[in-house]
Formats: sequence, structure tokens, C-alpha cells
Amino acid sequence: MTEAREAEADRWAEGEGGETVVDCKKLKRGCVWLVVGRNGSGKTTFVRTVLGLLRPISGRVVQSSQLRMSYVPQASTIDGTVPVRGGDVAGWGRLRGWGFLRPWKTSADWTAMRRALGDIDASTLERRRFGEMSGGQQQRVLIAQMLAGDAEVAFLDEPTAAMDATSERTTYRRLRELVHARGMAAVVVTHAVAVAAPFADHIAFFDPDDPSQKGGRVHLGDAAEVARDPRFIDFFGVVHAGTEAVGHDEVAGEHD
Amino acid sequence: MIDPHHHVGSDDDFSDVANAIAADSAGSGSGSGAEAHTGTNGPVDTLDEEPSWSEFWGGWAMYKEAVYSGAIAGLSLGFLSVYVVLRRMVFVSAAVTQAAGLGVAASFWVAIHFGISLNPAWGATFLSLLTAVLLAGDPKRLGLSREMVLGMVFAFTSGAAVLIGSRIPQETGDIQAILFGNAVVVSPEDLQRLVWTSAGIIALHVWWFRGFAFASFDPISARVQGLPVRMLDLILLLSVGVMVGEVARALGAMPAFAMSTLPGMAALLVVRGPLPVTFAVASILGAMSGVGGYLLAYKKQFSVGPAQTVVAVSLVVIAALVRLGVGVGVRLVRRRRRLAE
Repeated sequence: MTEAREAEADRWAEGEGGETVVDCKKLKRGCVWLVVGRNGSGKTTFVRTVLGLLRPISGRVVQSSQLRMSYVPQASTIDGTVPVRGGDVAGWGRLRGWGFLRPWKTSADWTAMRRALGDIDASTLERRRFGEMSGGQQQRVLIAQMLAGDAEVAFLDEPTAAMDATSERTTYRRLRELVHARGMAAVVVTHAVAVAAPFADHIAFFDPDDPSQKGGRVHLGDAAEVARDPRFIDFFGVVHAGTEAVGHDEVAGEHD
Repeated sequence: MIDPHHHVGSDDDFSDVANAIAADSAGSGSGSGAEAHTGTNGPVDTLDEEPSWSEFWGGWAMYKEAVYSGAIAGLSLGFLSVYVVLRRMVFVSAAVTQAAGLGVAASFWVAIHFGISLNPAWGATFLSLLTAVLLAGDPKRLGLSREMVLGMVFAFTSGAAVLIGSRIPQETGDIQAILFGNAVVVSPEDLQRLVWTSAGIIALHVWWFRGFAFASFDPISARVQGLPVRMLDLILLLSVGVMVGEVARALGAMPAFAMSTLPGMAALLVVRGPLPVTFAVASILGAMSGVGGYLLAYKKQFSVGPAQTVVAVSLVVIAALVRLGVGVGVRLVRRRRRLAE
């Protein structure tokens, strides 16, 4: 097996005091990161800050226009009255920067959009009106949008919040397979720790109440390791983490 | 420069024009369209009976610019109205329209009190653009919401238009005509400017359609993917500002507001197809409002602007009924199928 390739990224977030919280250069391709913590611990704020949607309270976010990023929000912000179809929304994933200066979709755009919808078992939603889909179907289309854009690093905020338990597990399994197969890094904010943890390679546990450090602490590391942390167990109980994760070394070899 | 005292909609209504045509056909020989449309309160015998369509075609040379203007204004504002409605910017359009009206009134005021001849079209466009830029900013930095800024702008422009109007009583009729729209005759210069402005804006919007759509309807993902969302937002607002300013000057503020909101609503009610089809249908409905309103005003001797507004509203009502009818029809067909099975 070859060594895992690191995503060519130079975007990172620094916490208070200049401490680097996440360095995307260290987000290995083919890896799934879980961001977990109690309500209000700052998970979503952290992701939105890294993405440049919010200004950091302190520290800085360094961005690179070369890095292909995607974001799947908790719930779609697309108004239900907008007459767009699943294929349109997934196809927007292909638009980056000033790409809209080309007014038409290429055959590669169509192929990528259809492949992405197919990958997430949402091909039937291509011609369906987005506003008429269920929350779970909309989330699948948004995941397809992320896949269609060939993102190098994808941030997903509660991507299964509107799904039932079975769909949730299926989606995480599929997501893990796709992340590995496509050689991307995925950072997933979730409350469904027990469901998602088995598919994670790494976990970032936001623990604002950790008494060992003023202002709390972010426990970062290998999924199984973080899941054994007493603070983590105090909060989430015993969960099986990383048991269904595919070693990124193995997958990275496929892309070399 | 156009002399503000010769605003095309100012002293015009169909009775004046009809009189002029009647005089012309009676062999007076002096009733050319150009002279006729500046005529004022002559005898209005023709009001008692509806003018005929043959008379309309007889005066086509005089009416054609106004008909074309209605069509082009409806086409371009109808296109933009889909964004206005879907982005819940109807009140933005109202504020921009009101600012255009204030711009026209201010142009008259400056011309009368300072002797500076200002083109009302530029006044309307300038204040529309200024309002659009103001509304494109981020008011949260000042602790305000966009609704608060909208309310302030709308109240200010409405109040200022009335105040300025009260200072130029000799032009009240003109200002009223501009605000409510009474463009029986539109000058070829106004039509030409409307054509070029519309063509430029529609060409840009068709070219950048994918960018405008993505940035408008899913702005967060668009920002993450590096699209210049703020710039696209600003251009969209400026497009609305420019078009509303131009149309308010040529046809009146009331039809400008109606055409920048109602065709989009009607299209969204009837179109089930892809997004580009919705824009195309809204453009067509906008053009129908402009032309249909003009014809209604001619036939029934109404003011043009309100007639165009009424036609635009009627199209929304018809669209709602069509949608309702289709919905009921589909349910009936499904029920019959179920029963047959």
C-alpha cells in the first residue's frame, strides 16, 4: 500500500491564542472526520467560520482559492417556491468561481450531476421539483451537489438530520464509501454520534466544559482513541468508533 | 436633453389624442401626431363612445412607440420579476419605484427653482440606482435589518416626492402622470433608451443566468464554491434599479412596480417546468401586461399606467384560477383511475 496522500489544502482555522484547531493540510484524503459536541458547543459556528461564512472571533482563517470546498447545510436554504429540480440543484455543484461565465452546461457537467445523483441513490429525484421533496430527499440532493463538484474537502452539517434511523445508517455508510472512492476529505457535524461514529476515521470532540482547560477543549484524533476519552464517554456513553472505517492508506492507493 | 416640461405622459390622455386624430381625419390638416399629443383639455365628445380599432390603426404611427415601450418594459421587468418574487424583494421593488418617482419630481423641482434643465429619466435612474446600492449593503453592521432600511427608504422617498410636488404646483399634473403612468405617447428617444437598456440587461442576465440563479437561490453554497455572490447580488439590484428607473420615466412608476412583481407571480403559479421556462413565461406575461394594458386604456379611455397594472393583476388572478382548475382536474382524474382499478 502506498502512503496516504494529504489533501493539497492550505486552509486552517486557528483557535484562541493562535492554536491551530484544524489544518486542512492534515485532512487526509479518503477520511471522514466527525465534529461532535453538545448543543451550543460551537460545531456549526466552527464549520461556518472555516468556510469563510462567519468572521472568526479571534485567530484567522487562511483560505486558498485553489482548494475545492463544498458545504452541505443542515437544511436547504432554497425556498420551496423556487421552481428548480433535483438535477438543477445537484448541477450547481459544478459551478465554481467565475465558471458561470460559460452560460451552458457541458456534457461533463451533465455526466457528473447524474453520476452524483446515482451515487447517492437519488437518480429518481433529477426531474422532481426540489421544493416538493421530503427533507431527507433534499439532503440527498444536496449531498449529490457536493459530489458533483468533485470537492476535495466537504463540510456536512447534520446531513442526516431529516432522515429516519435506517436511512441515516445507509447514508453514512454510502458517504464513507464515496469519500474513500473519490479520495476526498469529509468533515461531518453530527448529533447522531452512535450512528456515525463507526464510519469515522477521526473525531473532533468540542468540549466547552472540560475543566482541564479554561474555555474548554477540542479533543482531536483517531476516532477510536477519542471515543475512549473519559469526557467523551461521560457525554455520549460508549460508542463504537471507526469500526467500519476503511483505512485511508488502502484507498489512497487506488488514486495513485 | 429632454425638457422636463415636455414629459410625454404629462398632458396626454386618450381623449386628447382621439380628438387630434378626429380633427386630422376631418381634414384640418394640422393634426399631426407630434402636435396632437401635446394638446390639452379640448372637447371630449369621443369619450361618450368607445373608439374603434380602425381608429387605433389609423393613429398607429402615434401609438406605436408607447405600445412597443409597454412590450419591452414588460418583457424585461417581467424577467427580473421572477427574482423579485422568489427572493422576496417585492418591497425592494416598491422602494426603488418610489425612488424613481422622487427622482422625476426632483428633476422638475431643480429645473424650476434653479433653472437647470435636468433629464427626468436621469433623475429617476440615479435615485433608483442609489436606492438599489443602499439596499445591497449589509445593514446588520449598523444594527439594522433590511426591512428597517426598506421602511425608511420607502417612507422617505414617498414623503419627499409629495413635499417636492407641493413646491411645484404647476407641474403637479406631470408628476401625477409620472407616478401613476399615463404614457399615451412615448417619445422615440425614450423608446430607444428603453430598448438599449433592456437589451443590455437581459443579455447580461441570460449570459450569467446560472450564476445569478445559484447565487440568488442557494447563496451559502455559492459563496463556499467561490462565486462572487455579493457582486451578483449588487448587479441584480442595479438591474432592477435601472429598469425600474427607465420604465418609471417612460411609462410611470405604478406600471413599473406592477411589471416588476406581478408577471413573476403569475408565471410561478402556472409553470411547473424548469427555471428558464419560468423566466420566459414571466417575460411574455409582462409584455402582455404592457401591451394589453395599453389596448384596454385605449378602448375604455383609461389612464395607461393603471390599465397596465390592472391587466398584470388580472393575469395573476387567471394564473391562480388555472392552477386551481388544474389541481382539481388532476385530483378528479386520479380519483376516477382509482375507482376504475
